[in-house]
Amino acid sequence: MATDDLTLVKRVRTGDQRAFRTLVERYQRKVYAVALGMLKDREEAMDVSQEAFVKVHKYLDHFKGDSSFYTWLYRITTNICIDVLRKRKSAGGHAAEFDETIQVNLSEASAGTLGSRLGTNPQKSALRRELVEKIQAALEQVPEKHRTILLLREVEGMSYEELARTLEIPKGTVMSRLFHARAKVQKILSEYLELDESKVGIGSE
Amino acid sequence: MAHNPACERFWPELSPYIDGELDPSSRVQLERHLSACSHCSALVDDFRAEGGLIRLGLDMAADEADFTGFAQNVLARVTPERPPFFERLRISFDEFFTHHRSMVLTSVATAAAVLLVGLPIFLLQGAPQGYAGETMELQAVRVAEEAHVQPVVLEAEAEEATIIWLVDQEGPRRHDDEDFQHHVLPGASGRDAPRPKGGEL
Repeated sequence: MATDDLTLVKRVRTGDQRAFRTLVERYQRKVYAVALGMLKDREEAMDVSQEAFVKVHKYLDHFKGDSSFYTWLYRITTNICIDVLRKRKSAGGHAAEFDETIQVNLSEASAGTLGSRLGTNPQKSALRRELVEKIQAALEQVPEKHRTILLLREVEGMSYEELARTLEIPKGTVMSRLFHARAKVQKILSEYLELDESKVGIGSE
Repeated sequence: MAHNPACERFWPELSPYIDGELDPSSRVQLERHLSACSHCSALVDDFRAEGGLIRLGLDMAADEADFTGFAQNVLARVTPERPPFFERLRISFDEFFTHHRSMVLTSVATAAAVLLVGLPIFLLQGAPQGYAGETMELQAVRVAEEAHVQPVVLEAEAEEATIIWLVDQEGPRRHDDEDFQHHVLPGASGRDAPRPKGGEL
């Protein structure tokens, strides 16, 4: 039976490096997935993942066990990612901006295409790999600040209050950014599915 | 799928609605609208499906990544500064004895056995053959004061041997060999020793 996280954390505090290795191997994949989602760069995501574990080890005494170890680790990872994104922006990197004052028009969107084709469980869809690739491409077209907030919400499940605190933005902005991000992704995917519907067999479950 | 102009008022609320962040009164109004508007209901379904796809996409991306050496690299970064040489040596020995105890014991036992057998053989290699063999040299021949014999030393040219005769001075004369004892010491030289006078032969 696998040792639980808190027991491993206690052992790491006493200097047990093997326990720390177990924690790293347990969560390396998840941490990498989050970093990749936010940074869209495999190499950078791998570096950030390592950095996250190094910080976890360094500040392990700060972990009080109020939340789960993974939640704490996840927050550290996203904070590092946010820092990386800020540096990118200040360095003039991918700083695609998005005007939130522009009214999003969902009237043209093929609403329901995505939901009806996937059902509520995308794992069972024959389309899932294709759609996953498409959603990755769609996310790349979404500005960083919208992608970040979407991932923090969808993957971490952060509340709007937590998102506002983490990203240092008003709660209203959280709501607005999430809506724009979702609308943008929905539009890209729906257009893809609309075009795709004419192809033979795709989408039939 | 057409939408009615009233929908636009509800669009900004769709996202907080699926996240459970909408206040109760707004929620009631939106749900009433959703029950009557297939377009907005379909958007809600799409937004929910997006979340699932995003999570699945990240899982699949992580499956493709190579984590060989990942934990090792992290551990190398969190390991405190290098301990001093002797400390590292001590740790290495500790680990070696901990993980290879049986091998160490076998090696020690083998080394002890080799020493027990090999050392005597090695030491005996330089010893003379036979009783004090080639290294003994005749220095002098003496007899005790109360002895009734007189030594006679003769040198044999052949084989460079020295012959010592012990002659009984007081006992009855006998012509058999019982009164005589001799020693032949190969390689011995009695030249420097004082030569006693011989007895009657």
